[in-house]
Amino acid sequence: MKSVLSRFAQMLFVLWVVATILFLMFRLMPGDPTAAYIDTTFTEEQQQQLRAAFGLDQPLWKQYFIFIANAAQGEFGESFHHRKPVIDLLMEVLPNTLVLTLSSIIVAYIFGVLVGSWLAWNRGTRAEAIVVPTVLTLRAAPEFWLGMVLLATFGFGLGWFPSGGANSAGAAYGSEWSRIFSSDFLHHLFLPALTLALYLQGLPLLLMRSNMLDVMQEDFVMMARMKGLPEWVIVLKHAARNALLPVMTAFAIGIGQSIGANVVVETVFSWPGLGRLLVASVAASDYPVAQGAFLLIAAVLVLMNFIADLLYSVLDPRVSHGARR
Amino acid sequence: MSRSARVAGGSIRFEGKEIAGAPPSVMQEILWRRMAFVPQSAMNALDPVYRVGKQIEEVLVHRGNYRREDVPKRIAELFEMVGLNPKRQNDYPHQFSGGMRQRVGIALALALNPALMIADEPVTALDVIVQRQVLDTLKDLQRRLNLSVIIVTHDISVVAYVCDRVVVMYAGEVVESGKVKDVLEQPVHPYTMGLTNAFPDLGRAAGTLVPIAGSPPDLRDPPPGCRFAPRCPFAEPRCAQTSPPLVTDEKGHAAACLRANEAPMLREQARDPARWAA
Amino acid sequence: MAHVAEASAPEDAAAEPRVGALGRIMRALRLPRGDFFATTGLIIYAVFLITALLADVIRPHDPLEILFSDDGQLLANAPPSLTYPLGTTNLGRDIFSQLVVGTRAALIVGVTAAIVVAAIGTLIGLISGFFGGWIDNGLMRLADVALGIPFLPFTIVLSSFIGASTWTIVMAIALLLWPNTARVIRSQVLTVRERAFVEAARVSGSSPWRILFVHVAPNILPLTFLYGSIAIGWAILTEASISFLGFGPSDVVSWGYMLQDAYGSQALSRGSFNWFVPPGVCIVLVVVAGFFVSRGYEELLFPKLKD
Repeated sequence: MKSVLSRFAQMLFVLWVVATILFLMFRLMPGDPTAAYIDTTFTEEQQQQLRAAFGLDQPLWKQYFIFIANAAQGEFGESFHHRKPVIDLLMEVLPNTLVLTLSSIIVAYIFGVLVGSWLAWNRGTRAEAIVVPTVLTLRAAPEFWLGMVLLATFGFGLGWFPSGGANSAGAAYGSEWSRIFSSDFLHHLFLPALTLALYLQGLPLLLMRSNMLDVMQEDFVMMARMKGLPEWVIVLKHAARNALLPVMTAFAIGIGQSIGANVVVETVFSWPGLGRLLVASVAASDYPVAQGAFLLIAAVLVLMNFIADLLYSVLDPRVSHGARR
Repeated sequence: MSRSARVAGGSIRFEGKEIAGAPPSVMQEILWRRMAFVPQSAMNALDPVYRVGKQIEEVLVHRGNYRREDVPKRIAELFEMVGLNPKRQNDYPHQFSGGMRQRVGIALALALNPALMIADEPVTALDVIVQRQVLDTLKDLQRRLNLSVIIVTHDISVVAYVCDRVVVMYAGEVVESGKVKDVLEQPVHPYTMGLTNAFPDLGRAAGTLVPIAGSPPDLRDPPPGCRFAPRCPFAEPRCAQTSPPLVTDEKGHAAACLRANEAPMLREQARDPARWAA
Repeated sequence: MAHVAEASAPEDAAAEPRVGALGRIMRALRLPRGDFFATTGLIIYAVFLITALLADVIRPHDPLEILFSDDGQLLANAPPSLTYPLGTTNLGRDIFSQLVVGTRAALIVGVTAAIVVAAIGTLIGLISGFFGGWIDNGLMRLADVALGIPFLPFTIVLSSFIGASTWTIVMAIALLLWPNTARVIRSQVLTVRERAFVEAARVSGSSPWRILFVHVAPNILPLTFLYGSIAIGWAILTEASISFLGFGPSDVVSWGYMLQDAYGSQALSRGSFNWFVPPGVCIVLVVVAGFFVSRGYEELLFPKLKD
């Protein structure tokens, strides 16, 4: 329990440092630091109001405390372009990013774990000689380029899938859930999710393969054989269970990293997600949105790193059940 | 047992049946049910992610056809047999001390009432006091359960303490075998003489341990003749040419040495440490 | 670790006194000689390196020159032909020339970033593992922070603030990617530190820094190369992503720039595969070469996988 608390404290510390770095970055950029919040088209009155609201008339150290306090409450100000609170914009696109990330990473990991174990089982065969270099090649391909090729082939070329976006124009839905589960949404989701999955499957596959090969050498697997246990018990309950530990950690960390790395795939498929919002806002100097999106992506990343840490200690009894000697 | 290893020749007989090269179905019947194994390090031989009770249960259910409801009673019984608190079946392997873990290993081996238990260096990784406790448990179980135990070890004091018969092997070959008392007190093969010199003995002053100079041969390319000849202080030219046959005397004491008939004299000379100098 | 390399080197030299240039390079890089993957990787690197050096000789046209046909027509979206091996862009620029010139940007980013990441990661890992205590603690917390910053978004924001250039990208990679290398090297140092020869050096009165750089560092060198070879790929992928998103240097023709140009000019809907496939293939080849070379180091570092 104590270690969970200390890990949690550590996570908050990291988050705080990241927020501070972000604050400094936006203050260090050339020009008027208040430009991060105030658009020149605002009226003088509006500007004064905002300056006061964000404490921008205060000295830098005070601004810093106000920034941290606001960020902790999810208060990032108002977008220059959309003229609405940043938090609303973020929450609009967050479901799209989450669905895209989770669906692709789950598919990738299930596939990777199964094929990785299968390859370990078929060590030194022709299958290995074909699959491993293929996987390495897929991992070496830039995600967005993979997306471009798939989009040009299956989207524009064959016309099987739409060319971008998350929903067809004009479609209306009763709730966020009915939108996400509509066939139209899933149709739009397929190519970007496939692109990400193709890229992501390499890590779990190679990890699972090498872990399995390592675990198979362990004494306890040899012992299981000597006990005459059925082969499926040896493979699933002993080898796979142990080999899965690091893959589960990689999975959690992968979710966190994917949210940020999705930027490029979201751009290729014009997927209205967090990454695309970040790119658009940075390009348009819509700093409040950029700050908010960045911080949200960082928060997910740090949170998932924390969960990965916890997950490992839950799944590995050597960590969760301390030695009792 | 390693997948890359195989039996190159010879014969392994168990309960009257030839099991070298036996098909998996035959081995499946024998493994763990009639013949069980205690590893050198139970730490590595137990799966780190399962409670030890679970690992015994696995054997009982998958191999012993135990019904689930009978399992807890059997595990408690096994734990008591090896001197462990039955409550500890809910602990993970890493939560046990080395000696306790070896006891878990023994309990696991006994799960299905085997006729033969093979123990590979069962106490080597333990400190001396714990070694003694574990060996006492083994001895006691062997008697009570009418169990045959094969102990593979480098430690002559373990042999002297628990075994009835001993087979001395050098470089993959049997060099001497017989009753422990005969072999250790009146060794015939120079290697056995060297071994008894190289281990501490209560009857001898400390500091007189005498090592055997040199190192074992490369088994991919063993020397011709007697494999021990290159390190043997009593080797004669013929030893490097002729492989000595294993000859058994009327007491069942066997040795593979061309100078076996000179054994009493060699034993006398072998007591002199200078003999063993490189 | 390094012992494996050192022990086998003289033997190899005796058995085969005439070692080719490739063999000598592999030995200098401490790669296992004759390893198929490592050799392939190095050959791919060599081909791209030569292309980058001779880019101005190889490229048939200026990569940004707008080409016209003999009758004065703009050569937009020309299909591949003998004069334009990969065709032209929608603005009539020669794709093959861009591809050749793009090699330079990729190698500059890749090699600089790899050197910087490997150097920083190794130094921090060495110091952290060797000195331990509060230094170790502080550096590892710093690593946590670096791992808590989303890489691509950070690079995007940095590029937009301090200006898009190759150096911005190298800097972002240096700032955020060192922890992976540092952590592995740190744990390696922890084991090397306990070895007898380090103890011997300590007892004989060598200064800590001397022990660190003379006795410990050489033993972790293959790990440095391993992470360096992986970083080359990372850097090239990052450069391509950043350029594709439009935050790359505008004055440099790179593979990422080509892909952005193609994407922005509707090459996808026109099906101009000749435009956007080649740069991707080049990226894949260079990154795969990095993986292959790193596999060579893994064979060296973890020989048990070989059997």
